[in-house]
Amino acid sequence: MRTKHIVWMLSLLLLVSSAMAQSVKFTEHKLKNGLRVILSEDNSPQTYSISVVYNAGSRDEHAGRTGFAHLFEHMMFQGSENVGKGEHFVLIENNGGGMNGSTNSDRTEYHETLPANQIDLGLYLEADRMRSLVINQANLDNQRETVKEERRQRYDNQPYGQTFDTLFETAYDSFPYKHSTIGSMDDLNAASVKDVSEFFKTYYAPNNAVLTLVGDFKSSEVLAKIEKYFANIPAQVPPPSPDMTEPKQTAERRKTVEDPLAQIPRIDMAWKIPQGNTPDWYALYVLGEILSTGQSSRFYQTLVREKQVALQEGAGPFERRGPSLFIVDLMVAPGKDLKEVEKLVYDELDRVKDQLVTDSELQKIKMEVKRGKVEQLEGTLYRAQALGENAIFYNDPNVINTGNDRLLSVTKEQIQKVARTYLTDTNRTVLITMPKPRTGGAQ
Amino acid sequence: MKRYRLIAILIFVMCAGFGSTGAMFAQEDHSADTSKVERKNRAPVSKDLLKVTLPKATEATLSNGLTVLIMENRRLPLISIQYNISGAGPIFEPANTPGLAGITAQMLREGTKTKSSVQIAEQIDQLGASIAAAAGFGSAVTAINASGLSDSFEQWFALTNDLLLNPTFPVDELNRLKQRMKAQLRQQRANPNFLSTETFSKAVYGSHPASVVAATNESIDSITPDMLAKWHDERYAPQNAILGITSDVKAADIVPKLEKWLAAWKKTDLKEVLPPNPKPAVAKRVLLVDRPDSVQTTVTLGNIAIDRRDPDYIALSVMNHILGGGPAARLFLNLREEKGYTYGVYSSFTALKYPGPWRAGGDVRTEVTAGAMTEFYKEFQRIRDEKVPASELEEAKRAIVASFALSLERPTELLGYAITRKIYGFPADYWDTYPTKIMAITADDVQRVARKYINPDNLQIVAVGDVSKIRPVMEKYGPVEIYNAEGKKIGN
Repeated sequence: MRTKHIVWMLSLLLLVSSAMAQSVKFTEHKLKNGLRVILSEDNSPQTYSISVVYNAGSRDEHAGRTGFAHLFEHMMFQGSENVGKGEHFVLIENNGGGMNGSTNSDRTEYHETLPANQIDLGLYLEADRMRSLVINQANLDNQRETVKEERRQRYDNQPYGQTFDTLFETAYDSFPYKHSTIGSMDDLNAASVKDVSEFFKTYYAPNNAVLTLVGDFKSSEVLAKIEKYFANIPAQVPPPSPDMTEPKQTAERRKTVEDPLAQIPRIDMAWKIPQGNTPDWYALYVLGEILSTGQSSRFYQTLVREKQVALQEGAGPFERRGPSLFIVDLMVAPGKDLKEVEKLVYDELDRVKDQLVTDSELQKIKMEVKRGKVEQLEGTLYRAQALGENAIFYNDPNVINTGNDRLLSVTKEQIQKVARTYLTDTNRTVLITMPKPRTGGAQ
Repeated sequence: MKRYRLIAILIFVMCAGFGSTGAMFAQEDHSADTSKVERKNRAPVSKDLLKVTLPKATEATLSNGLTVLIMENRRLPLISIQYNISGAGPIFEPANTPGLAGITAQMLREGTKTKSSVQIAEQIDQLGASIAAAAGFGSAVTAINASGLSDSFEQWFALTNDLLLNPTFPVDELNRLKQRMKAQLRQQRANPNFLSTETFSKAVYGSHPASVVAATNESIDSITPDMLAKWHDERYAPQNAILGITSDVKAADIVPKLEKWLAAWKKTDLKEVLPPNPKPAVAKRVLLVDRPDSVQTTVTLGNIAIDRRDPDYIALSVMNHILGGGPAARLFLNLREEKGYTYGVYSSFTALKYPGPWRAGGDVRTEVTAGAMTEFYKEFQRIRDEKVPASELEEAKRAIVASFALSLERPTELLGYAITRKIYGFPADYWDTYPTKIMAITADDVQRVARKYINPDNLQIVAVGDVSKIRPVMEKYGPVEIYNAEGKKIGN
């Protein structure tokens, strides 16, 4: 029996269970200070992962302070009251563990994976920096430089490094998703210690976070430890929710950018769609799989293999808590007429609008979901992150399970309907990235 | 459901950017001691080191000479397999056809005696399986990796074996692949890391075939289906191959079936004969690759060091960990955390059946290229001249052992260790005693290998960036050669 490896215990508060084999079992709890806690026991590995998701992303930023959520994420590794600057890493590494943090538009996440006998260590480190981060000018200056280097390495010095920022800036009208997560150099330079301190107080409060543990532990014991380490962190006034409303798009938007580092043209298209975890979003996810996942997919077979107009292709919905986008991107084979290539994409989309997808295409999705459900049980980290994120995004950690069910229930008719509804000419933004011819060079 | 599978999404996730797990020693300017992390020692730590217990792989040799290693893992209904076909890697390619091994591998999916390219793609996706074959440049091996659910194992494994044994290399699919490959060749020249790897490999490997890192338009044009079939017939030899399986099915149940399934794969006389080993370069050189719009300089410094069987392997592992193995290491702490020159800086080494290079490097902004070079040399000199402090050494060793222990929980890692042991003919207890071997390394050992393999007098230095700005800095470090983004030498 496969589920025997996942031991779950009665929860103090709420019990979520699913009859499905290979579902993720977990319990939910809430501390008095508002910290939401999710525990999922799995004693097959001798490890555990801890993830803290803060309800703070670049969508919470204001004009003139872009890049702030991400810059702050770097500050979280610079020490707290009882953990010295750099000590966090020493402690994790010397115990063979792994750790990182990441920021996107919708949340900031921190995690550690450690041996099961180091439960206290992971909890202590996360609690201490949630309670008492050290914020000073020296740390801020240093991490600002690191973030600027990150921006140079990942954006300014890479071909197509500006493409996605430009696409989002063009497609969105409202500020939260219109600006980039990495931020502008000017805004990064302008960030002050005062800004950072205020951001910490507002957004890094226990009532604005979700703590998730997955792995080899006893929930009752861990819960007592969580009380011990986290209960005395004071709650704060909840931060305001950003206004995520996005006006309806009424005409195609189109832009061409020149990229001096690119060698071949690239086409990106984006259509406005609803947020994640909605019926239409799931239907669009399945459509994205049919169009572009695997070598038997429509885009690969048509655009890459038969017509040879694209070297790489991708299609699918971006998962966001607010108004999202369905994105198609193509690396165009040299010498091809971009208008022709675009038309081939629209022809494929028209085919979805005109004819129902096939049973065999839906069968592939079923297999993919079936495999994905098993694979997500391999490591503990993915589950910890997904449970926490679903709690922040949708107020429902169980989306880790129900999302799969909803994908499986998508019908051919729904796919046709979402293609007709959203993938229209007027709802589209097209961005062409063209190689910019080089001038000069060194002797 | 797999989140974050769109490339768009990955690009939007910003990371604190720790390439591997690691400790950080906050550097202060006033002291040469490295253990300057601010230690409050208040966090609760269990002193027990994770115990290392290595499950053993079941080993068998089929009548055709194929070595089989099976690592049982009952936790989840997943199976993954790897064919590791030695003697079929690019280092054995004729010099005028770089890419022959890789194209052969990629073409396995494009047609068999009974299936077309489309049918193969369709079957793989219908089974929810993954099958991929590759022959990475610089390698002696073609590897075929496949994975899927246990309940469809016999189907997807049969399909994998059909690709392995019965490929037909159809000419129309080959022509399509050629078009894509030529465009990709062009595309990869936009990437500073590719340019850096290309030039560095040429510099350190010299005439050894591992100096080749990409096909050329000419070689791609010249390759025919017959050449692929010949390479496949001659080079895919079972007696030189290892089949590794991680499985929730009993090894004893699989082995007898393998004889039947792989009966058509016949033993040959092919023996793997390696080309003469590459030798460390004796004179320092500076190779600049001009990329005029670069806002950063991609710097790599190194030279040929050791092969995998070299007795210095363990000591070099510890030395590398201390110098540049991760965010805990000296290079990262100095160039990123103290100086803010870079998003990440690391060192690493390649050790296969033949010697490969040790190297250090990172992307630094153009304006601080000079400062970064100074710090690289300072750190090289320091690890050569000064004995590593006891606490720093102990922490490095403990970190390596602990992370090894944690890695043993991943079935594919376990299988990887078993395959490595087999490839290099290590004793049966090689991995059981690995932690002991690491812990036995002394500060003298670290200094000895640092002095032996990091030699400022013969470093091969590659810098990809805006040559008009970085040349004055770089020419202080050795005689300069300049290349363009096509890899052609354009000056001194």
